[in-house]
Amino acid sequence: MKIIDASTGEKHLVDILPVEIDDFKTLKKDRYFFDWKIEKNQEVYKLQIKGSSDILGLVSIERIPQEWRIHIRLLTVSKENKKNEKKYDKIAGNLIAFVAKIAIREFGELACVSLRPKSQIAQHYIDTYNMNMTGMTLSIEVPEIIDLINLYDND
Amino acid sequence: MTENKKNIMDIEYGIDSRYKSNKERESEATALMEARLSRMKNLSKDQITKAKLLQLKLKMEEYIKNPVYDNQNYFSDFLKLYIDSIYSKRSAFANDIDVAPVSLSQVINNHRKPKEEFIMKLMIHSEKIYKNVCEFHKKTWYQVYFHEKICDTMSNQEQWRPEIEKHVRISEVI
Repeated sequence: MKIIDASTGEKHLVDILPVEIDDFKTLKKDRYFFDWKIEKNQEVYKLQIKGSSDILGLVSIERIPQEWRIHIRLLTVSKENKKNEKKYDKIAGNLIAFVAKIAIREFGELACVSLRPKSQIAQHYIDTYNMNMTGMTLSIEVPEIIDLINLYDND
Repeated sequence: MTENKKNIMDIEYGIDSRYKSNKERESEATALMEARLSRMKNLSKDQITKAKLLQLKLKMEEYIKNPVYDNQNYFSDFLKLYIDSIYSKRSAFANDIDVAPVSLSQVINNHRKPKEEFIMKLMIHSEKIYKNVCEFHKKTWYQVYFHEKICDTMSNQEQWRPEIEKHVRISEVI
């Protein structure tokens, strides 16, 4: 999986790893937008460029096996990677694709990843990740989830 | 700047999808499941097969990354999943890789170890099958096979070591 340097177009391989307990001390709201300490008891992953310890993105998930679904609780990119002047592109996409891989590995053809963005930005997720909308919930399932994984899982 | 414009600019900074109450979670889960079941009915056999093959690949990659020291037969279990995802009869796979059905059955049921030629054929077969599904590294089956061998050997030392150790001596002391 790779992110792209927005100014040079250079691609960087990334690692997406479980957040360790010590990491939470560095996850301040002013850089990562949410109070991540509240997620300590959840399954939380961090995105880093291979060989770097700087955390560029985070995702917290809930596995719901009885519904063959993984729900994205929280997702963020670091402050310098939001808006148009972002340093790296594809951070959020890589995190969603990573969750999609867990869902497919666990639930196969029944896999589903869900999330609930604000209604104003739902269309962005529908257009960018080919998600389906049900009420307030966006979800991605087979076959679109396979395309998403293949788009990002290209190292 | 209007609130709407500000939100659009902040599109990729993050999402807070946490449910505020169990009631909210349950009502959304019910609606989502209904919509998904309706979409699932339209899945083709080909789409289901691709999902199963991607699932198998991800399971194998996970095993290679985090090998498990237990007595499960990972190679043969993955092989069964592979064949059953594609073929309705295992003998058809045996025929496709020019192996006697009885030999395939022995490998699948752990009555015989796969010969190197068998793994080579499996590697080529997988390359061709996965071409239209997802990226699949040639070495995957080999890695699974040898990871399992290493794990078995290391975790079963109590069984093989006493006898083997009798035949090992050190004549050159360092």
